[in-house]
Amino acid sequence: MDLNCSLFVGAVLFVAGVVCMATKRNGIGVLMGVELVLNAANLNFVAFANYTRLGLDGQVFSLFVIVLAAAEAAVALAIALSFYNNHLTIDVDKANQLQG
Amino acid sequence: MDPTTLQSTGETLKWLLTIAWLLPLFGFVVEIFGGWWGGRHSKSAAYLAVACIVTGFICSFSALITWGCSNHWAALQGHGDSHATESHDANSTEPSHQVDAHGEHAKDEHAKTDKHGHGETAHSESSDAEGHDTAAHPAAEIPRSQLIYTGLFYRLARFGSLDISLSYYIDSLTLVMFTMVTFIASCIHLFAIGYMADELTDNYEDHQVHTSHGHLHRPGRFYRFFAFLSLFSFSMLGLVLAGNIFQVFIFWELVGVCSYFLIGFYTERQSASNAANKAFIMNRVGDFGFLIGLMIIWTWFGTFQFGDVAVGKGGSVQPGLFSMARGSDGQLRLHIPESGVTEVVFKNKDNHIETDGNGEQRTIPYYLLIAAGLGVFGGCIGKSAQFPLQTWLPDAMEGPTPVSALVHSATMVAAGVYLVGRFYPMFTPEVLLAIAYTGCITLFLAATIAVVATDIKKVLAYSTISQLGYMMLGLGLGGWAAGLFHLITHAFFKSLMFLASGSVIHGCHHVQEMPQMGGLRRKMPFTAYTMLIGVIAISGLAVPYWTLWGEPIAFSGYHSKDAVVATALTFSKLNGHPLVFFIPLCGAGITAFYMFRLWFYTFAGKPRDHHVYDHAHESPWIIVLPLCVLSIFAMFCAFGGENGILYKLLLASEPIALANGSVPTADQVTAGLMNISLSSHEQIHANHAQAGLLALVVAFSGAFAAYVCYGARWINTSEIKVQFAGLPRFLVNMWGFDELYDIMFVRPSHVVAGWCSAFDRKVFDGFLHGCANAALKVSAWDRQFDETIVDGAVNAVGNWTNSLGRSLSVVQTGRMRNYVMFIAVGLLGVFAALIAFFPST
Amino acid sequence: MTGHQLLFSIFALTTCGGALAVVLSQNVVRMAFWLIISLGASAGLFFLLNADFVGTAQLLVYVGGTLVLLVFGVMLTASGPFSDFKTRPGETFMAGIVALSLLLMMVFTVCSVDWKKVVAATNQGVPISTAQSVATGFNDSEEGNTARPLGMALLGIRVDHGIDSGANANRIGYLLPFEIASMHLLVVLIGAAYLARAKRRVQEI
Repeated sequence: MDLNCSLFVGAVLFVAGVVCMATKRNGIGVLMGVELVLNAANLNFVAFANYTRLGLDGQVFSLFVIVLAAAEAAVALAIALSFYNNHLTIDVDKANQLQG
Repeated sequence: MDPTTLQSTGETLKWLLTIAWLLPLFGFVVEIFGGWWGGRHSKSAAYLAVACIVTGFICSFSALITWGCSNHWAALQGHGDSHATESHDANSTEPSHQVDAHGEHAKDEHAKTDKHGHGETAHSESSDAEGHDTAAHPAAEIPRSQLIYTGLFYRLARFGSLDISLSYYIDSLTLVMFTMVTFIASCIHLFAIGYMADELTDNYEDHQVHTSHGHLHRPGRFYRFFAFLSLFSFSMLGLVLAGNIFQVFIFWELVGVCSYFLIGFYTERQSASNAANKAFIMNRVGDFGFLIGLMIIWTWFGTFQFGDVAVGKGGSVQPGLFSMARGSDGQLRLHIPESGVTEVVFKNKDNHIETDGNGEQRTIPYYLLIAAGLGVFGGCIGKSAQFPLQTWLPDAMEGPTPVSALVHSATMVAAGVYLVGRFYPMFTPEVLLAIAYTGCITLFLAATIAVVATDIKKVLAYSTISQLGYMMLGLGLGGWAAGLFHLITHAFFKSLMFLASGSVIHGCHHVQEMPQMGGLRRKMPFTAYTMLIGVIAISGLAVPYWTLWGEPIAFSGYHSKDAVVATALTFSKLNGHPLVFFIPLCGAGITAFYMFRLWFYTFAGKPRDHHVYDHAHESPWIIVLPLCVLSIFAMFCAFGGENGILYKLLLASEPIALANGSVPTADQVTAGLMNISLSSHEQIHANHAQAGLLALVVAFSGAFAAYVCYGARWINTSEIKVQFAGLPRFLVNMWGFDELYDIMFVRPSHVVAGWCSAFDRKVFDGFLHGCANAALKVSAWDRQFDETIVDGAVNAVGNWTNSLGRSLSVVQTGRMRNYVMFIAVGLLGVFAALIAFFPST
Repeated sequence: MTGHQLLFSIFALTTCGGALAVVLSQNVVRMAFWLIISLGASAGLFFLLNADFVGTAQLLVYVGGTLVLLVFGVMLTASGPFSDFKTRPGETFMAGIVALSLLLMMVFTVCSVDWKKVVAATNQGVPISTAQSVATGFNDSEEGNTARPLGMALLGIRVDHGIDSGANANRIGYLLPFEIASMHLLVVLIGAAYLARAKRRVQEI
């Protein structure tokens, strides 16, 4: 197995995350898409750390990302709850105040 | 006389005359700017004008007395003496007669004023002083500096050696003119208060102006009339006082303007406005000549001053025009070069040859001196309505009658004669002959027209022209004093007659046609008999053979006309030219005829128009009073004739060397100039009796003919008219001058103007319209271009941007999910671009 | 096919399949479940890639923490048992197209790079021994113990680059950034708690 395989898996995860963000109308679903994208990035970091001279830097970064994702999830959830409190729904399409 | 006294006399005269001159100006300013203050019903403007002019008269008369006293009446005494030696009268009676004459004169003029006493005391003082002061001196030796005062008021401008200044030239002529003008103007101002009283209203109805709503109604213009009269008085006095020819020209134009204002006083009447224009334009024709004369004088003499004027404080005296041309001996000094034109050499005040900076003698070509003289005389022709510019004066009768009396008979029209007299030393014999013939033609022409005129004022107007012709004739023939003598006497009796005719017009409610009058002497006796005095005066009737105190019993016109006719007779005896004697002689008869015709027509016989007669009434005292005063003067102002005080006063200012006459000098003969001798006083006096007799006979026959035709009606005039069918019509048409001018000038200028107008309309207008149309078309295209292309482009860009923005705003859905999609698509796009543009990497 | 490859294939397929399932499933709870599967499998992949500490953290933090948090979110915001938010078919289609293109693009990119060459280039100038060890991957995978090197790396000491190499002399560890980041995250979390606190909602009409 080589670097490419890991990168392919990361690509699939990334694309899945993006599509998830792009298609889910449920706010929580969107958050899940974000988690998938972040995870794809983690996978790439770790893969590069393993196969290149990047070494432990990659792993340290992926740790950062994990921590960051956790915090992000918490914040996002808070936002989602606040949104829900205001709109009585979690449908992100209702949040279109930025419409031009 | 010591120089200090001389100087103080000069100052006194100057200030007295300046006050008299400027007071009417003050009056004018107050009246024209403050006249509305008193309202349309106020006579205050008139009172102010009268006050100004009467004060002016008192000042003028005081100045005359002062002048006389300053030279101890040497003018009267001295010339009387010199004259007496030539006259038939005894030497011993002459001086006493002078005293009487003067005393009487002063009494007449100023019975009401304190001047009487002053005049007499002054006279007695002077005669006393004469006894031990000037008795030793022959009169001819009185220095002219004691008779003439010149000086400078104010220097307006200086061009090189040429001064444009306000200066004065005071001699007996100035003083007599001042006194005459102010006196007559005072009388006429008084008369006008009564005559113009119908203007004292807010709603004056002008019966001669018809509008679509009936007669014209307008506010009265009483104060404006007096303002113009005051302005005229100021201008006329300024003209008389002027010390240089340019100043004369200034006031010349000012009186012209006043004449224009006053003729056009009823400006709403078409005829009045036309007449004003005609007068003004005719005068411009003459003034054109005046200007040419001025230019010649400026170029060659370099000064406009009449007399010698002290320049600056150094006391250096700059010679005036008269000194330069004539010197102190009164002769032109000719320089006849081997080839080229004859020249006149300038002299300085010491009668030496005037030199320029290089020591060369200053000269003027003889023909240019003639041209200058003719040019200035051209101005006089215009102003004095001489042939061929005489046609404006009858039309000027459209003005109110006081205007006709003051401006168009007594003073302004006499200004031309006055200027000829004043400018006399500058005229060469050739010019004088031209003046004489002009006067000759004019007097005959106007007299014949006056015979057929029916409008009472028109008769007087033609009579004025005719009498002005007499004056010009007298001046032109060397009778300097005679011409001016006639000017003064004529001023009195003609203003009297005009005022009387004004009184008639006033009494008949503005009827002017004599055929509608008749028998009016029963209705208005004062007017009728004062008018009769004027008529007798102008006709020159006298009582033959009987004398009173050695003088013929006659009114003023007899003396002055006799003087002119005597001059004419002498001249024609000396030089040939019989016409210049026979025409004035005939003229005297015609004058008597038409003046008596006027009187008989108006005042005698039976009323022709009962409507007019029934409504006629004697005028109020303020109109009659001036008539009475003037009639006294018309009778007695020339009392004494050639030995009278008035004539003597004028004679004191006569140009040098005229008294002894002149014969062509050797130089003149050599130069091939005109061979003219001027008669001396002695020669004239020798012919006086003969001429006087002839004139008297002719005048009586004229008066008798008038009585036959119009008084007693032994002859029916309409039959005569039928028999000479063409002649009256010819005369009524004023010898066809108006038609002639119409054909000669008016119609050609209409034709030329028509051409110009057509050229303007066709060529210029066409060109301009073409340009305008082209510009219009170009701008239309431009507009099209602007609207479609430029605006279109701008609008298209704007619309496109707008629609693009709108369509792009659709993208801004506000939905997060869509944005994620866009990011993804954008990412794809970036990669696609990278691959497309950097395929190698 | 070695065991390693087999395991990698299994984990990779599970990760990809879980992720696709998350995308395709309509129910939120199921999505959460599939996410757990996917993330768990990716943790396995981390282990396989010699990152045992990261994989552990993944399991603990993600699967254990974050997803629980998500499930809580699902529960708190569920507006009803049958509430579903259908995506429009057009959008789904467009998303599919874009996803496929994106995937193809990335696969193409990954394939167009000669990774061996890149690795060799990055290894230039590095001591051979270290390079060797790097080329074979940082080892001791058998030991599977990266916790200590990671801790050392945080302190600035890089075991993988050779302890005695000069490269360590001026190295700064990740500890300070980590602490700064953690403080920030703490602040963020407090903010999140503030945001998510129960508010007295105005009753809507």
